Amino acid sequence: MSDYPDPDEEYELMYADELEMINEEEPRSDAKVVRKKPLPAKRSLDFSSPFTNNTLNSFDVNNVPTPSTIPVDPPGSEEITLTPTIPLEDLTPSTNKRTAYELFGDIEDIDFNEMEMPSKKQKTEEEVDLDLIEKILEGRRLKQILAEPSSRLLANKCSYNVKDNLSLDIPRWAFMPLTNSDGDRVYVRFESEESWEKSLDSTTEQTSLHATYANTWVEARKILEAKQQQQTEEHLTQSLPDIDADVNNNMLWVDKYRPTSYLDLLSEEPVNRALLHWLHLWDKIVFKKEVKTKEPQQRTTFSKRAGQFQLTNKWKGKRETEPEVDEDGRPHYKVALLCGPPGVGKTTLAHLLARIAGYRPVELNASDERSTEAFRNAIQSATLMRSVLDVDRRPNCLILDEIDGAPLPTVELLVRWCTATATEGKGKSKTKTQPLKRPIIAICNDLYATSLRPLRAVSLVVQVGGASAARLAARLAHVCAREGLRISAHVASALAARAQGDVRAAIQVLSFIKAKAKRPQLNMADVENAAIGTKDCHKSLMQALQAVFTVNDKDPGALLKTINAAGEYDRLADGIFEHYLTARVDGRFRIACETLSWLMLHDTISSWTSRTQNYSLYSALPLCLASCHSVLASRTPQRIGFPKQAMEMHRTKVELDSIVSAVERGSSPSVSNSRSALRFDILPLAPYLLTPQLRSANVQFCSEVERKTIRVCASAMCDYALQYVQVRSGEGLYTYVLEPDVNKVAFFGSEEKVRPPPAIRQAIAREQQLEVIRRNEEMANRVPARSKTDDVAHPSTSKKDDKQGGTGKAKQRALPNHLQQLKPKEITKITPQVHKDFFGRVVPISHGHRSDAVPDVIASSSVFYQYQEGFNNAVRRNVRTKDLL
Amino acid sequence: MSLWVDKHRPRDLMKLDFHKDQAVRLKSLVQQSDFPHLLVYGPSGAGKKTRIMCLLRELYGSGVERLRQETMTFTTPSNKKVEIMTVSSNYHIEVNPTDVGIYDRVVIMDLVKNVAQTHQIDSSGQKEFKVVILNEVDDLTKDAQHALRRTMEKYVATCRLILIANSISRVIPAIRSRCLTIRVPAPTENEIASVLQLVCKKECLNLPPELALRIAKAADRNLRRALLMCEACKVQQYPFTPDQKIPEPDWQQFIRETANIILSEQSPKKLSEVRQKLYELIIHGVPPDMIFSGLLKELVRNCDMAMKCQVASHAASYEHRMRLGNKPIFHLEAFVAKFMSIYKKFVEESLGDAF
Repeated sequence: MSDYPDPDEEYELMYADELEMINEEEPRSDAKVVRKKPLPAKRSLDFSSPFTNNTLNSFDVNNVPTPSTIPVDPPGSEEITLTPTIPLEDLTPSTNKRTAYELFGDIEDIDFNEMEMPSKKQKTEEEVDLDLIEKILEGRRLKQILAEPSSRLLANKCSYNVKDNLSLDIPRWAFMPLTNSDGDRVYVRFESEESWEKSLDSTTEQTSLHATYANTWVEARKILEAKQQQQTEEHLTQSLPDIDADVNNNMLWVDKYRPTSYLDLLSEEPVNRALLHWLHLWDKIVFKKEVKTKEPQQRTTFSKRAGQFQLTNKWKGKRETEPEVDEDGRPHYKVALLCGPPGVGKTTLAHLLARIAGYRPVELNASDERSTEAFRNAIQSATLMRSVLDVDRRPNCLILDEIDGAPLPTVELLVRWCTATATEGKGKSKTKTQPLKRPIIAICNDLYATSLRPLRAVSLVVQVGGASAARLAARLAHVCAREGLRISAHVASALAARAQGDVRAAIQVLSFIKAKAKRPQLNMADVENAAIGTKDCHKSLMQALQAVFTVNDKDPGALLKTINAAGEYDRLADGIFEHYLTARVDGRFRIACETLSWLMLHDTISSWTSRTQNYSLYSALPLCLASCHSVLASRTPQRIGFPKQAMEMHRTKVELDSIVSAVERGSSPSVSNSRSALRFDILPLAPYLLTPQLRSANVQFCSEVERKTIRVCASAMCDYALQYVQVRSGEGLYTYVLEPDVNKVAFFGSEEKVRPPPAIRQAIAREQQLEVIRRNEEMANRVPARSKTDDVAHPSTSKKDDKQGGTGKAKQRALPNHLQQLKPKEITKITPQVHKDFFGRVVPISHGHRSDAVPDVIASSSVFYQYQEGFNNAVRRNVRTKDLL
Repeated sequence: MSLWVDKHRPRDLMKLDFHKDQAVRLKSLVQQSDFPHLLVYGPSGAGKKTRIMCLLRELYGSGVERLRQETMTFTTPSNKKVEIMTVSSNYHIEVNPTDVGIYDRVVIMDLVKNVAQTHQIDSSGQKEFKVVILNEVDDLTKDAQHALRRTMEKYVATCRLILIANSISRVIPAIRSRCLTIRVPAPTENEIASVLQLVCKKECLNLPPELALRIAKAADRNLRRALLMCEACKVQQYPFTPDQKIPEPDWQQFIRETANIILSEQSPKKLSEVRQKLYELIIHGVPPDMIFSGLLKELVRNCDMAMKCQVASHAASYEHRMRLGNKPIFHLEAFVAKFMSIYKKFVEESLGDAF
């Protein structure tokens, strides 16, 4: 085969084995022809003729008019008639033929001398001549054959077929009459079996090469076709019934493909194990008998302290499990709290593991009523009772789904249920509360929901992360295969990546696309158009912040999406503001100026938006933040914390504001200043004013002047509602602390520059108390004091007040209407009588006192005017407590 | 009434220490029967409130000084209850509407209505109107100011408004045109010094004139502050000495320190240090515009003329933007960063020239 003239023919190489067999079968076929060169010419002549006959025959067969030759045609030729439909098959024989043709065609041009020279030399000259003649003759003949194949073939064929087997007259041999389309009658010979067999043999032998080729080709083709067919059939057969099934049982795919065994779970292995292990810890209390035998010595345990799995040894494992279980044999944590983003399979995990661990899952979710009462009932029925109807008589395992939406009292009840039983233990179990004897699995999305705070402390927190993209993709491919949906691997992985671990969303998308498109092919566009990933994807603020500060080569557009998803633009702006200084080296403040200009724009827009309630520019807010990214992003990772400064600032500001407003509210109306005056002038200087310099700490030894300063301090404090309050310090000592703490407002930084020593503080405090009493007294005696027009009350300001009081009085006299108003007041004489009626037997006493008061009032009419300031006649006079006694 | 500021506050228009011609005009205003709405404006510590109280006393007599403090409650349209503290006598009521923030409009409308409608019982002898004093009118929201203009006209028969503001630039023109605007300029340093001397004489103390002038300078033409500082001086050390240390409000010092930090070094690290200082100032309730002006005043001292203009214009533009925005810290820091970049460039250039 090595000297085969067409080594580059692929097909032949492929079917080299078969060709070999063919060669063996047909020693006279083209292979021999090729080998002709070294062979003696005569032999080659002999062998070549059947071959040519052969090849041409095959063509001939095709050319033969079929109607007449049908019965005559050999079965082999029938097979060959198929061949033209197959292109490759056509090629092979033709190439074979061509080679032969080329070979023989060449012969005319070939100098046989040159070719045969080496052999010639060994032979005699006569022989050479003879050989040459023969060769030439043979070449001519061959050429003739090739030139006029049909004539030769006809000669061959007719001798065999037509002339012998067909006749227009009624033949002598056995025949079958046939009628032509023209009406001519033809008689076809019936052949004897032997002769038919013989002819058959000869023809099959002759055409076997083509037949085999054809066979292999057809076979190959059939195989390919069959494969294709099988695929389409598979799809057709699978998709059709499933569509029906879908229509029939309206089952969500999510439910349909819910994992049914542990191995099907998509969540992370440590998570699954943690929960399962915790469930097994209940075995001792729930399935009393089984546990002791079942108690596994060696296993991977989840250590809660480390939050990891440790493959523990036998001896170590036992020790490790001990703290997990309390003295009742119950796990240390009574509740497992599963938390994670929606759609990752928390509920599925809980249900499946509960079933695996031998419980009957009882679910209570947000759609059920969750008032405290209903919740208590549910817990009681789930944990204390056992289902009667259940065949297996399995114990319950309560699954509280979506517990972060439950009201706080409900969660508190749950916590009480767990902890109270834990503390009371066996002793009280007979009385009211029985210890919790069934596992409770709580499921939430947001672990840090406020209502969950009490529960977090007493529960085993298991974080369920999203399924990894690879596993999710594999699962999606599986689902698609089952549903008869064609999905290529990259589409599946794209969908999985898009879903970000949300199994439910991914499967829903599959189902949705299928229902919508009604075609069994899922392509990239479907995934890209799918509304997941953008729907309620919640990016945390920190993610957004991180994105702003890091270069993202892969997807520059992702930043805006992330910011949009995070929301909380204000907080984000704060975060950027807090971290931008450390983001990049910025010697010339270009980055700082640029960033701040964006932040200022953000601030302006957001406050404009909130002020005018016009949200037309709202979409510009994330853009402002995103453009900070172009300045700030760097490749070096940096620590970015949650923005706290602004919040902290706000908190302290509120605290200080409250101090100022306390002072403002408390200060007496006569000194009431505007808030800004308090804040900028009075309070900052107040500590200096309230720190008198005394020579000695003991007030008793103070001079009169010093005492006076202390009194001034005290009365100033009274004016502004400041107070020294005794507070017990950590060492058990009592110290006087200013209340409200003006020093905080007055001074920046923690240290207080000016602070009176304790003794002075005490002195001031004492003096202030006296001052308060004095003022109250004055308030009580206000009317008499006023009647004497301030000259008693304020000795220090007496002169001035006197003068002013004088002018006031003068003015009052100047206004005649006031005086006219006074006169009708004399009718007030009636009012004491009214009082008399009210007070019954006390009347004479009060009357006596009043008789003292009334003449006073009447005597100085100007004083009486001061009573009259209100428009309410009820306050006409004072009634002292002692008057009533 | 024990601090000098309160104790020695003049009660009569004729007893005022400065702006005496204005006092005369005010007095004649009262004597005419036609008393308009007033818009009194001037810097803090110039004596606006003192003048108004004198005016009221002139109007109603000493009954105005019988003050009481009460808290009023208003309900906003969104059913939120806001409380506001009022100081009132029988003849007037004083309120600071900005205390309730964005709900000031509700307060103004309800309060003025209440006052205007409940006065009418006996109008025979006295002035037939009550007075409503509104503080810090320039900080009112635009809504509140617009609410005010209608009310001012509607209830003019029964109540008069006296508006107090630091500057009328933020009072809408509609209100300005409805009021008689009275400007109370800050007293000069000499005037302050003389007032200090007067008060010390009343207190029987001996104040050296140098110290009085120093205090007046340090007080930034704010009489209230000057009096408080003087009293603080007295408490700290009585026999006054001319070179005595004058206690100063801490926030003033703090702004100065901040400016020094900015000038000392220009680097992002310093900037973050400055930010903490700015935060501290804001926490203590120092209004950002005061921080701006304080910083500018200190910073500009170290600049040459060309730079001064540049810095001042930047300060103005940043302050303007701050007013549009909500987070003063951004704008303050932006100004500081801008200044640092300008200053650093300037310093480097001048150093480059030197070598």
